[in-house]
Amino acid sequence: MDFYYGLAQTVGIHTLIGLSAYVVLLTGQVTMAQAAFFAIGAYAAGMLTVLAGWPIVPALGAGAVCGAATACAVGFPALRVKGLMLVVATLAFGEGVRLFFFNFDYQVAKGEIKMGPLGGEGFRQIRYFQEHGWSTGEVMLFIWVFVGLAMAVLWWFDRSRYGAVLRAVGEDELAAQSVGVNLTAVKVSAMTVGGAVAGIGGGLYAHYTTHIEHANFNIMLATFAIAYPIVGGLKNVFGTLAAVIFVQAFLIEGLRFLGDWRNLLFGALIVAAMNLRPQGFLGGRRA
Amino acid sequence: MHKLNLAYAAASIGAAYAGLLILQLAAGAPPWAVFLCAFLGGGIIGWLVYVTCFHFIPLSNPLAPLMSTVGMLLLIDEIIVHVTAGMPQNYPAMFDDVMLRVGEFTLRGDLLLVAGVSVVCMIALLALLYRTRLGLATRAVSQQAVAAQLCGIRVAQVNAMTFVITGVVGGIAGALIGASVGALSPLLTTPLTVKGLIVTVIGGLGSIPGAIIAGLLVGAFENVFQQFRGVTERDLYVMLLLFAFLIFRPSGLFKP
Amino acid sequence: MLELRALSRHFGGVKAVDGLDLTVRKGEIVGLIGPNGSGKSTTVNVIAGLFPATSGEIRFEGESLAELPTHKRLQRGIARTFQNIRLFGQLSVWQNLWVAQNAPDDHARRGFFSRWLGGQAGVRGEIAQLLEFSGLAHKQDELAANLAFGEQRRLELARALAAKPRLLLLDEPAAGMNSEEIGQLRSRILKLRDQGITILLIEHVMELVMGVTDRIAVLNFGQKIAEGTPAEIQADPLVRKAYLGGV
Repeated sequence: MDFYYGLAQTVGIHTLIGLSAYVVLLTGQVTMAQAAFFAIGAYAAGMLTVLAGWPIVPALGAGAVCGAATACAVGFPALRVKGLMLVVATLAFGEGVRLFFFNFDYQVAKGEIKMGPLGGEGFRQIRYFQEHGWSTGEVMLFIWVFVGLAMAVLWWFDRSRYGAVLRAVGEDELAAQSVGVNLTAVKVSAMTVGGAVAGIGGGLYAHYTTHIEHANFNIMLATFAIAYPIVGGLKNVFGTLAAVIFVQAFLIEGLRFLGDWRNLLFGALIVAAMNLRPQGFLGGRRA
Repeated sequence: MHKLNLAYAAASIGAAYAGLLILQLAAGAPPWAVFLCAFLGGGIIGWLVYVTCFHFIPLSNPLAPLMSTVGMLLLIDEIIVHVTAGMPQNYPAMFDDVMLRVGEFTLRGDLLLVAGVSVVCMIALLALLYRTRLGLATRAVSQQAVAAQLCGIRVAQVNAMTFVITGVVGGIAGALIGASVGALSPLLTTPLTVKGLIVTVIGGLGSIPGAIIAGLLVGAFENVFQQFRGVTERDLYVMLLLFAFLIFRPSGLFKP
Repeated sequence: MLELRALSRHFGGVKAVDGLDLTVRKGEIVGLIGPNGSGKSTTVNVIAGLFPATSGEIRFEGESLAELPTHKRLQRGIARTFQNIRLFGQLSVWQNLWVAQNAPDDHARRGFFSRWLGGQAGVRGEIAQLLEFSGLAHKQDELAANLAFGEQRRLELARALAAKPRLLLLDEPAAGMNSEEIGQLRSRILKLRDQGITILLIEHVMELVMGVTDRIAVLNFGQKIAEGTPAEIQADPLVRKAYLGGV
């Protein structure tokens, strides 16, 4: 049973990072920075529970705020570049953040041992769940409460005027401007929302794996983040969820039957999915 | 085509590995045979990337081809890992025993060859694009695909050729990297992808002279940073160079 | 209401608009005509804020529009349609209109929350009116990309009206229309004037221009070569020369 709880936890965390990319992708901005906001949320929440003794929910909230604030700051210069340039800029930002955490030391003595992030070694002993006696099932449910919350909020956005405006900007910026949409405000706000969701995801990730390091937040993660909404389709949030389940289930199931070959399958699967259904599982952008 | 292909570095390294295949067939084959095989491999892999990512997927959908190239990137990487069991492979070099002395500096023969081949390659690419009918057709298609079709240009063929040619160039690059480092490893793919993107942006999207000059610039900067600050901080400085360009000159060095 | 003074817009060496003086008074329907390449669309684009003017002034209701970004000009009360239709194809007809509801008095009346995160219920009435006006009520949930060409043109117009503009810039709205459709467009434009909207009409289709405008200005090579009532323009030899290259 624990195995399924673990799988559900992974699916939940990945759904959160996928959703963080979903809202930004709606505006037509292809972002490789979501892993960076995820990382910031992870380190922030981890440091607050481990070093400052905060309870988990406020720590996650703080992680979300840190993610959102960084995303907002990134959102403004990101406006100046489009298309491929944005991909590169956000990718460079993501790598910059990763390199930052590679060099980040902040250790505080707790009793006899020092705890906290230690550069290349990472941040160990994020044991909030263990210290408070949470079972794997309880952690899984906790993660999914946040996933459900994020999906509900984004679903609500999608059905509101904000969602229609996001998609309008993604379709035709010139036309959107001409009907009075403030492009800056819309694009930066989408980035900020994405940053908040990624921050929560990161905070949960840090606590469920108990040990994070810079290598966890690499280009691969950033690629996964945008892969989920693209493969799942931008029609609504369930597309992203479907893609996460599809990918993770294949990777995990592939583990059983194909052993080593599962990684081979993964790349081939994405190529096949994009050829067979380029608009994603659930289809195009219409809400 | 105004689309982004993220599989180029993987294709490049893959082609270099393909070059090694010839050693499987004829152990002790001369290095130039390996290189030739790498070029050919590059062309074939380039064509495969075109077919799997750009031929069937309707181009009106911007994100799907991008994702597909990501899939190809992962696939090529994994094939390499599978076939070589993840172990780095040695790569032959030519003229590696030749050393030229110029004043105080010693120049390695094989690295000079790398530089020489790169220059020839860049000139050839420019000549192809600006002095041949194929190059003209490629530029036409990239500017107005429908009009080009109406003029009788076989768009699919031109696009496929573009990928084959860039694949060959990528194969040359992969072989040269293998030759200058002496070994190949699948771990090279990610840093190469990132560097390639950085060079493209600094040089200016769609500009080949830009890519050439930016490539030289970034290569030079990398070595300078490494000389003064060591390997670990080198990448951070290259990032900063990129940021500087993005802030002060987002369109890059040259317009297309 | 709208004043262009010595307006110029150069693209490198090409003077697309060259020293244009034009006044549009409140409640008028003014036509802007001229051969292809005479600068009509560029003029609209500069008024709408897509390009900055190279020199000269634009004043709207007495205030200068210089430096104002496009979306703010919309909020001041200037809306435009596009010559080649730019609808949000993947959004429904209803959503296209919804996105365009950016009039400032709307913003004042309804709070931030309800304006952005509210559902469709609050604005059903207003959008229904727009749909009525353009005869698109039966297609409100259809994707804009799936509409017939004539319906798309009507949606383009309705969308421009969604923000309750006081000045409407119509960029060749009759292109590709048949006589019957032009007649319908004409009556719609007149209805808009009755509602108090001032209109600047860029057009090639003489049937529409002559039948609906109060005054016409004629451009050639970026300069105004004639201005007057439709009858005066039709008789003007300079205009004939510009269009036909000599009588």
